[in-house]
Amino acid sequence: MQASLLLRLWWRSLPALLGCWLATGTAWAQSEPIKYGQIDKQDLTAAPFVADSAAAAVVLCDFGRSRMRGKRDGLEVVFERVTRIKILKKSGYEEATVEIPLYHREGNSEKVSNLRGFTYNLVNGSVEKTKLEPGGAFLEKRTANINVQKFTLPNVREGSVIEYAYTLTSDFLFNFQDWTFQRDIPVRWSEYRSSIPTFYKYNIIYQGNRPPDVNLMSVGSVSLLLDRTVQGGIGTGQTAGNMTIGATTEDHQWVLKNVPAFQPEPYMTTARDYTARLDFELTGEQWPDVPYRDLTGTWDKINERLLGMEDFGGRIGRVGFLQDQLQDLSTQYPDIEARAAAVRQVVMAAVRYDGHDRLYALEPLRKAFDAHRGSSADVNLLLLSALQQAGITAHPLLLSTRAHGRVSKEYPLLDRYNYVLALVPLADGKDLLVDATEPLLPCGVLPERCLNRVGRLVSKSPAQSRWVDLAPSQRHVHFQQVHMALDAQGGLSGKVHEEFGGYAAADARTELAAQGEKKYLAGVRQRHEGWALPTLALGQVDNPTKPLTLDYEFRQPATGPAAGPIYLSPLSEFGTGQNPFRRESRAFAVDFGAAQDEMLIVNLTLPEGYELAEIPKAAVVDLPREGGRFRYSVTNTLPGVVQLTSRLTLPNAVYPAEDYANLRELYRLLLARQSDKLVIQKKAGR
Amino acid sequence: MKALLPLLAALPLSSFLYLSPSAPAPKYAVADIPAALREGAHAVLRADDEVVTIKSAGRLVHTVHRVVTILDAAGDDFGRHSVGYDALNAVSYLRGAVYDADGRLLHQLRPAEVRDQGMGDTGGSFMTDVRVRYADLRQPQGPYTVEFDYEIVSDNTLFYPDWQPQEEEGLAVQSATLRVNTPTALPLRYQERQLPAGTTVAHTTAGSQETYQWQLANLPAVDDEEVAPPLAYSTPAVVLAPAAFEVQGHKGTAASWQSFGQWNYELNAGRDQLPPATLAKVAALVKDAPDARTRAQRIYSMLQGSTRYISVQLGLGGWQTFPASSVASNGYGDCKALSNYTKALLAAAGVPSYVALVGAGSDRPDLRADFPSSQFNHAVLCVPMAQAGRPDTLWLECTSQTNPFGYMGSFTGNRHALLLTPQGGQVVATPRYGAAENRQVRRVDLFLDAVGGATATARTLRTGQEHDFYSQLLHELGPAEQKKYVTDRLRLPTFTLTKFNLAATPATPTPGVVETLGLSLPGFAVPSGKRVFINANLLSRLPALPAQIGERQAAVWLPRASLHADTVRLHLPAGFRAETLPAAVQFSTDYGTYACQYQSLPDGTVQYTRHLELKRAQMPRTAYAGYLDFRRKISIADKAQVVLLKTES
Repeated sequence: MQASLLLRLWWRSLPALLGCWLATGTAWAQSEPIKYGQIDKQDLTAAPFVADSAAAAVVLCDFGRSRMRGKRDGLEVVFERVTRIKILKKSGYEEATVEIPLYHREGNSEKVSNLRGFTYNLVNGSVEKTKLEPGGAFLEKRTANINVQKFTLPNVREGSVIEYAYTLTSDFLFNFQDWTFQRDIPVRWSEYRSSIPTFYKYNIIYQGNRPPDVNLMSVGSVSLLLDRTVQGGIGTGQTAGNMTIGATTEDHQWVLKNVPAFQPEPYMTTARDYTARLDFELTGEQWPDVPYRDLTGTWDKINERLLGMEDFGGRIGRVGFLQDQLQDLSTQYPDIEARAAAVRQVVMAAVRYDGHDRLYALEPLRKAFDAHRGSSADVNLLLLSALQQAGITAHPLLLSTRAHGRVSKEYPLLDRYNYVLALVPLADGKDLLVDATEPLLPCGVLPERCLNRVGRLVSKSPAQSRWVDLAPSQRHVHFQQVHMALDAQGGLSGKVHEEFGGYAAADARTELAAQGEKKYLAGVRQRHEGWALPTLALGQVDNPTKPLTLDYEFRQPATGPAAGPIYLSPLSEFGTGQNPFRRESRAFAVDFGAAQDEMLIVNLTLPEGYELAEIPKAAVVDLPREGGRFRYSVTNTLPGVVQLTSRLTLPNAVYPAEDYANLRELYRLLLARQSDKLVIQKKAGR
Repeated sequence: MKALLPLLAALPLSSFLYLSPSAPAPKYAVADIPAALREGAHAVLRADDEVVTIKSAGRLVHTVHRVVTILDAAGDDFGRHSVGYDALNAVSYLRGAVYDADGRLLHQLRPAEVRDQGMGDTGGSFMTDVRVRYADLRQPQGPYTVEFDYEIVSDNTLFYPDWQPQEEEGLAVQSATLRVNTPTALPLRYQERQLPAGTTVAHTTAGSQETYQWQLANLPAVDDEEVAPPLAYSTPAVVLAPAAFEVQGHKGTAASWQSFGQWNYELNAGRDQLPPATLAKVAALVKDAPDARTRAQRIYSMLQGSTRYISVQLGLGGWQTFPASSVASNGYGDCKALSNYTKALLAAAGVPSYVALVGAGSDRPDLRADFPSSQFNHAVLCVPMAQAGRPDTLWLECTSQTNPFGYMGSFTGNRHALLLTPQGGQVVATPRYGAAENRQVRRVDLFLDAVGGATATARTLRTGQEHDFYSQLLHELGPAEQKKYVTDRLRLPTFTLTKFNLAATPATPTPGVVETLGLSLPGFAVPSGKRVFINANLLSRLPALPAQIGERQAAVWLPRASLHADTVRLHLPAGFRAETLPAAVQFSTDYGTYACQYQSLPDGTVQYTRHLELKRAQMPRTAYAGYLDFRRKISIADKAQVVLLKTES
């Protein structure tokens, strides 16, 4: 039985199976690392915190315990927590205000009880304790399903130690309290214990860049007191007496000591993918004298369950309300790809994505259709239905958005997924991935928030269900071609043709839609400080299958008569100007989402009678393992015309942390080359 | 929030009783919008019909009928609407509908589609009873027209609704009306602002009721422009305020600042009792203090060391302070509570002081002193050392644990506040901060090597309003976040921050923060042939503004006076000499003055100095062309390049 519950560990994000070691003592009965209300006076002095000068506060101890107990005729999860934090600076005062979100739905809820807290201050050498009074705690009804228990501790000063404790009871057994060891401030000691009756089977998944300092598992026992409720006739709902059942438990203890503060960096997915944490996934139930109920297990079972669920499979079917728009498409578009694009257009015109990413459509799709708005699940399950109705084979594809976190291929865990879209198998064996949430993207291109490595195809037939690579076919493409003429006074004039392709086009179109053309073009003007841009024209704005184009003319009058040579860096005006990687080093992979291609060509016409004093050297810089290339060249093949080319290609969407220094250096070299000064002088002897 | 397994989260399916509405006559067709109103507009306010009915001194009803056509995606935000409410303001109803371009009904908002949400900690409150009802009618395809109807019953007559239909840029107004009904016994006070010429109020009396009506029509969309006053200061508005009002049994009149202040003073009177332990602490603290200023300073330092800002806004608590005793026991409070508490501490130390209401915020325009009404969002404490309003008057920000003693800065300085005295309200000026106070003094040493790499040190002292932001950075973020913040905002191609430090300087005469940076700049100035090009203005460039497109509409408001002084020393590598130094530049305008020069010093270094003084001013729109030119000239001078030549040796 123990073997079914494996402790799994992601080490450096690479799943690796580690053995669990059984302890001689029991994990649950170890002495507690913290006693509420009993503080070490030493913690109120400055000496122990010299090493934490960069932190606003330090978690001294965060201790949580979860177990199950009887509630009426079922069970509930009881989570108890004690947290003690040292406030080092005024910027750490915010740690003294805590919010606990509490979910409730259909009579099931999470509740906080026994909330208590102290602030400890050292006053004239003795410890002064101030209690959290009821006036410092509030329950806010944030939304229809979420209440927030908030509290703030009294008398918080620099040097204070704050402490709070509470019990959270939850009816949501599938959602066993998880635990995060790492926070945005350093943690001295973080400990979590769980005790789960063997009726419930959970996958426990640990994620972190080092193993826990303590990791114990043992067998315990529990008595569960249940009510037997009368199930019909007179006295329905009344209790018919108590029943105590004994059960063995599987007990765990995990400790992480001295966990550094977590700092988010640019180009990463959600912080949840990187912080040290534990997650619990309910996989099955085993009640006495009842056959084992497997709740996840295999993808085959997940597929079957999903397709049988009203909120998922139940939503895929005939959509009578789109019949008029769909009925002629199969004759109009014999080609499957073209037809899928047409169906997508119909869906996008009918229902607008409301910004919520969901895997399930909680209400019939007709409601979303009537309101013309819906979640990603409403939109894409409608799309699936509409594709099938138009005679196209289409399967649901599950994925987890970048904000939701990575999925592992190793464990079939449904609640790691929060998104569904449509996969259309094509005759050539390729897959067409169709999503109808972003009208500014062409058919077959996934929104950037979906670019999270792999998805899972859902199908009734086990043979068809499989992993699907989400690596995008589209890149981030930016192309600029400049014709620039220099006059003898140093003035510039010319024209620019610019194209945004792939994800760059989607980004540009999104920005354009949000700002309107006038503001967007004002932004272009702002990029060329001091230049006059008399005409600007956007092209292919409304056709997402084509690049967005921008054409403009520019003039920069000479600032004064040129005495001697003219110095000019023609590329610098069109480059990014700044290295996107500001920090010296990085602990995590750089996740761009998509590959990149950045090309800039400037054709510079020199004034009559002038020439280049020297042609700058060409340069080619390669990243290891064909990970990318920067190419730079200056040619002067035609007299009086200089062509400068700068091209950056980064073919990978994700670069491991080890490549960070190389990436940063690549950008440094690119910026240095783009700011190369041409020295333009009068031809000798004339 | 937790990820919830939807297995248990399935909703009961509500039965399908909803019927499609039968097609009524189309209204609000896009074709009915005059072409002039579509020019430059993302949305058009088709109708904004507001009625304010004063029921009594303690109650008013505000009904709104609002129709907006969304022309393009940039106007999409107008497709949703939220209505705030709280313990003293109830929403009677919120209805909505959406129409297609031809004016045919697309969808009628269902009650279940209206979200109701708490405000959480948005707006900086730990706990507030303010909530919103929120409806979203944005459509997949434009153009479309949304219609919202709602009514608010307010028991907080301290505030009358304002009417300013053109509240945002890109919104044209086709038609807007305001009607106010009030009993003759409760005469309306109003102020018309920026109304188009010829707009007049229609005022009628029928029995014991008076009615006022205004209307606006065909206002083209306006743009938010650079260095312009906020739109609130340029689009038409009618501002309403009570004479007599009553909130939760507290009666008052806002007819004058004196009476408005009186009401506030009395609402909070008697809430300044301190527990004996606190009184004893104060007595011990100030017993050997020679004068009132020293006493105040010690009290302020005690306040900053023992309290913090936590805002709880419930019901009348939005206006009435928590008692001083509650701050004494909890160590926290909001601006009213902390100001009231400090006032009590100062009184215990024998120093009289007054709470002052102020409209706080660095972008907030000054108080409209000519229209007494509730225009405040913050409270500070004014400690008259001699006569109120004189320069030696002390002003204390009581919500900050780090603010320098007596400093108001961008948040509350350079404006007017309402002193609450036993004799009533009194409008006084808060401290002024000009170019003498708001300074940025920077010294940079740039060391170049022969292959184009460089290192630099930069020491920047910022004082007054120039320091406010850095003071926040220093006190509100941890050192690691401070460094990250500064790193992300340095405008340099590639660099590594080798040293970083922020430190406060003594607050005399004006508080400041010194920033020390060490920079490594690989490949900073790679030689092109024999030459190296360097922009000596490494960190202080002021960019030009884009050229004006079309005619400037708004006045020119230059918000802050400041003085920036830079000295940069370029340390050249051996074998290089300065070939060309840019010419000195100097000019003086109504907007400010600029001067820079370059010098080869005897020790072989090149010194660049720059002096930029910006003025605070409000000018007519015709002044904008000159301002653009001023910024353009600065930008050109700031980009000048020093050319170094490799000597033959």
